[in-house]
Amino acid sequence: MDISAAIDSLHPLEIKVLMTLGTCQAGTALDSEQLATAAELEPSQLSMAVEWLLAKSLITVQTETVTPIVSLTKVGEEYYRTASPIERVFASAREATGTGKRLTIPDLQSQEGLDPSDVSKAVGRLKKEGVILIIQGGCIETTGRQSPTVEALRTLLGEIHDSSKELKSFTEANRQVIEDFAVKRGNAKEPFRVDDRVTRSFILSSDGASAAGQLLKQGVAEEVSQVTPDLLKDGSWRQKRFRKYTISLRPPRIGTGKKHPYREFLDTVKAKLVSMGFQEMRGALVETEFWDMDALFMPQFHPARDIHDVYFVKEPSHTTAVDEPFLSRVAEVHENGAETGSTGWGYSFDVHRAKRLVLRSQGTAVSARTLAASPNIPGKYFSIARCFRYDQVDATHATDFFQVEGIVLGEDINFRTLLGLLNLFAREVAQAKEVKFLPAYFPFTEPSVEMHVRHPRLGWMELGGAGLFRSEVTLPLGVTVPVIAWGLGLDRMAMVALGIHDIRELFTDNLELIRTTRGLF
Amino acid sequence: MPTITIFQDDLESLLTGHHKVGPGITMAQLEEWLMLVKGELKGHNSETGELRIELQDSNRPDLWCCEGIARQIRIKQQGRLKPYPFFAKNQKSPHHLIVKPGMEQVRPYVAACTAKGYRVTEKGLAQLIQTQEKMADIFGRKRKTVSIGIYQLRSITFPVTYELVKPDEVRFTPLGMEAAMTLSEMLMVHPKGLEYGPILAVKHLLPILRDAKGQPLSFPPIINSREIGEVRVGDEELFVEVTGTDLPMVVLSLNIFAVNLADRGATIEPVEIQYPTSTMLGKRVTTPQDFGKLKTIRIKAIERALGQELGETVVKQALEAYGYDVSAEKGSVKAKLPPYRHDLMHTMDVVEDVAVSRGYAEFTPVMPAQFTVGSLSEIEQVSDRSRELMVGLGFQEIISNILGSPDHYSRFMRLDGTEWGRTVDVDNIMSLSFSCLRQWMLPSLLRIEAASSRAFYPHRLFEAGDVAIPDRTHELGSRTETVLGALIAHATTHFSEIHSCLDVLLYYLGKEYSLEPIQHPSFLEGRAGRIVVSGKPLGVIGEVHPEVLERWQIAMPVVAFDVNLSQLAMVGESVSSLP
Repeated sequence: MDISAAIDSLHPLEIKVLMTLGTCQAGTALDSEQLATAAELEPSQLSMAVEWLLAKSLITVQTETVTPIVSLTKVGEEYYRTASPIERVFASAREATGTGKRLTIPDLQSQEGLDPSDVSKAVGRLKKEGVILIIQGGCIETTGRQSPTVEALRTLLGEIHDSSKELKSFTEANRQVIEDFAVKRGNAKEPFRVDDRVTRSFILSSDGASAAGQLLKQGVAEEVSQVTPDLLKDGSWRQKRFRKYTISLRPPRIGTGKKHPYREFLDTVKAKLVSMGFQEMRGALVETEFWDMDALFMPQFHPARDIHDVYFVKEPSHTTAVDEPFLSRVAEVHENGAETGSTGWGYSFDVHRAKRLVLRSQGTAVSARTLAASPNIPGKYFSIARCFRYDQVDATHATDFFQVEGIVLGEDINFRTLLGLLNLFAREVAQAKEVKFLPAYFPFTEPSVEMHVRHPRLGWMELGGAGLFRSEVTLPLGVTVPVIAWGLGLDRMAMVALGIHDIRELFTDNLELIRTTRGLF
Repeated sequence: MPTITIFQDDLESLLTGHHKVGPGITMAQLEEWLMLVKGELKGHNSETGELRIELQDSNRPDLWCCEGIARQIRIKQQGRLKPYPFFAKNQKSPHHLIVKPGMEQVRPYVAACTAKGYRVTEKGLAQLIQTQEKMADIFGRKRKTVSIGIYQLRSITFPVTYELVKPDEVRFTPLGMEAAMTLSEMLMVHPKGLEYGPILAVKHLLPILRDAKGQPLSFPPIINSREIGEVRVGDEELFVEVTGTDLPMVVLSLNIFAVNLADRGATIEPVEIQYPTSTMLGKRVTTPQDFGKLKTIRIKAIERALGQELGETVVKQALEAYGYDVSAEKGSVKAKLPPYRHDLMHTMDVVEDVAVSRGYAEFTPVMPAQFTVGSLSEIEQVSDRSRELMVGLGFQEIISNILGSPDHYSRFMRLDGTEWGRTVDVDNIMSLSFSCLRQWMLPSLLRIEAASSRAFYPHRLFEAGDVAIPDRTHELGSRTETVLGALIAHATTHFSEIHSCLDVLLYYLGKEYSLEPIQHPSFLEGRAGRIVVSGKPLGVIGEVHPEVLERWQIAMPVVAFDVNLSQLAMVGESVSSLP
């Protein structure tokens, strides 16, 4: 054993015990009581230190003595306060004899409310002592003698009630009584309990002796728990001993500053998009139907524009004006296609309806505004926009959610470059190598594509939808180059990354959950 | 986007042609084919053969049925559409339907045909009803523009008339009822009358279809007569009519029914509709009718949009295999949609059909090569920087709904009736819990605090996000701005603890600020301040009023600030240590 290392890891209590033993003559054994006194330790501190030292084999057990100790049970305490069954039986019998009343065993049971087993045990013992007689008709009479058992029991209950005593401190006769009335297996209802107290004495092992010797020789540096500025200032840390900690324990918990896990996920998406050359767009939570839908060539009778699909704003319900020339151009395109090469929807466009204010229902509204604001060509744009849908809220539907979407403008934009861009998204955003493109339908794009990817953890999933903006969308807003419109459905990926199964938990109010969730991105 | 239920054996027999049992199809094969119709297999019961399919294209009602899906696949397999004889020009029709004057004010148009020789089966009837419902509900905008009736032909004596009657003039027993009643009674009593009655704007004259003997066929668009207008399994002769407000949609819907029944083996006979005045299709209109027009499309336009050279032959083949009638010329094609479609608005619609017909897998993806520079908006950069600082200050970030309740945003905050308490409110409220937009951030944070009394303290929370501030001077009636809110909650928190955090935040954002005492109902008086930068008020800070905490049922002191980052970014010179 490396004695110095052993010494370093000693707890102050262990040092006290080792040094106490070390100062005695070599080979001296001390029992717990003696050690506690000599080392000035509480019994609990001593027993801890002794167990640690035994585990480290620095001390060994020299002797082990077993001492029977008598104490009162709960039943015994009760008998001490009132009277034991044998006392009560004897008293009743004496009273009956004195008054000449007949007293039978059933009488005893009913009068005193005693257990039949207690009564028969008491009667048996008293009869054996010749203190009572059973006469004709099963009646009990006293003989006038005193009962040694009753007297001994009363004395013993009184003595042991204060504190437990060693069994051997009692006379032979009393020891017998104690044994007769002690708790045994199968009979817990007795006043006395006899337990074995084990007393051990300890000596130093050879390692322990070396350690103690070394400790005594080098003296014990004063032990401190912390490095303090004072210790550093005057250099006195050199004389101190710094207690070693049990570093394998779990540390106490602390609160931390941390980003929201869902936001962190969106941040990674945002960073990816910027790295791919996308510029961020922002938009308003409240939009006109014009920018939210009309500009996207969604006819005013489109089912998704129903009162049951979009939230309308109460006050003011309409905007004062929609920017021209966009309003007139879009109205004409809806009606007859204007100069876009389209037939239009062939209905009468309602300008008032276009001015209706709604809570933004799709992120594409932000793209529509960007198209009308002289965007860069070539240009790539994205937004992570909060949108609102008139949906019943449940595990898969939120009424308030983020949409990640955007546009790409350029002379080289066509159906194949659209697929190329989606491939890039699949690889960069979903780490997917396999991609499937399915024909899809969106009111504002033609051709339209739905992209399914094989996610490394989720398997095949829909990652998003995209298409080339219809000329009915781009031309009235003043854009003459082809434009890709794309949107990514990332909530399912986010939910898996965050280990949740209910979309509502993305915006949970459970702080504990937010604090403990760590994303796997 | 309707979802329909069809049966595998029905689909298989329609794929091979009627009355034949087709080979079994696998689900993988089916999913492949569904790409042609923008369909997604949503469910499959292998025991009953039931398939649930969602159709995406809201402009292709012809695909919202088993017949239509089978047809699109069949054309692809056969390379072209076999023409339906009843669309040939100059059809003589044995039956007439007379439209009486006055219909134009109520429901002007009608189209009709007869179908003989298809014996209605149980599954066929279910499909017929499903198609009728999906068409009238989604394409017909809940029967407003289009509704469809199907009848037993043998009970009808031609000519049928379509006319207006007084509400109590005619009685018949409607479907789903036991006794005869007047039209006005149907509007008041019959479930369909209650549901669709509001479509009829004029209430003193109602539309009715009657045959030559005066027997009512139906009260469109409400309900059919029970005697004539109930089709049963085993019927072999049917009369189909469509009424509505838009002639092309009405004729198109009838065309779809006609081809569907023809695909099931029926012989279709047209009906001549006689209008009192001329319509866009003439005064006498024979239906079904192919009213599609040829469109000339330059091959270059298609090639440019698809990014691939194809040539006339390939384009012609692709369009024919998708049902078009095509003739190729040099550098262009003349294409016409099949008569059951009317969704060609723009060249790009044809372009997509070329791609869908060939299959998207035929097109190799190409990376867009033009160079662009990525960037974040200015406000997002300020927001991100603030979030970093708040995290450094030991705050946990939160994300909340923006749509919430006036209780949370105003009443609990003691802001009822104050300028601070005004919000953007929803008009068509579904649930009070989602009925207004947040106008500041603190309630979002208190919502978390109220729900998290068991999470160990201290709580330091923040959120940076959008709010909507009502503003009459703004064209949208409100301004969307980005706001940062922060909150500290623990037993001994106090004003200076949150003040220190604000101080650090604004120091590193490079803004000099001052606090001015303010009376704000959400905070304790004397412990609340307005955050002022360059003379502009940009937010509030303070100890949250105990009554506010009580209303939220929060039993812990809370201090907080709310600062408008959008406005912060615009005001004041940023303080920089650089020269």
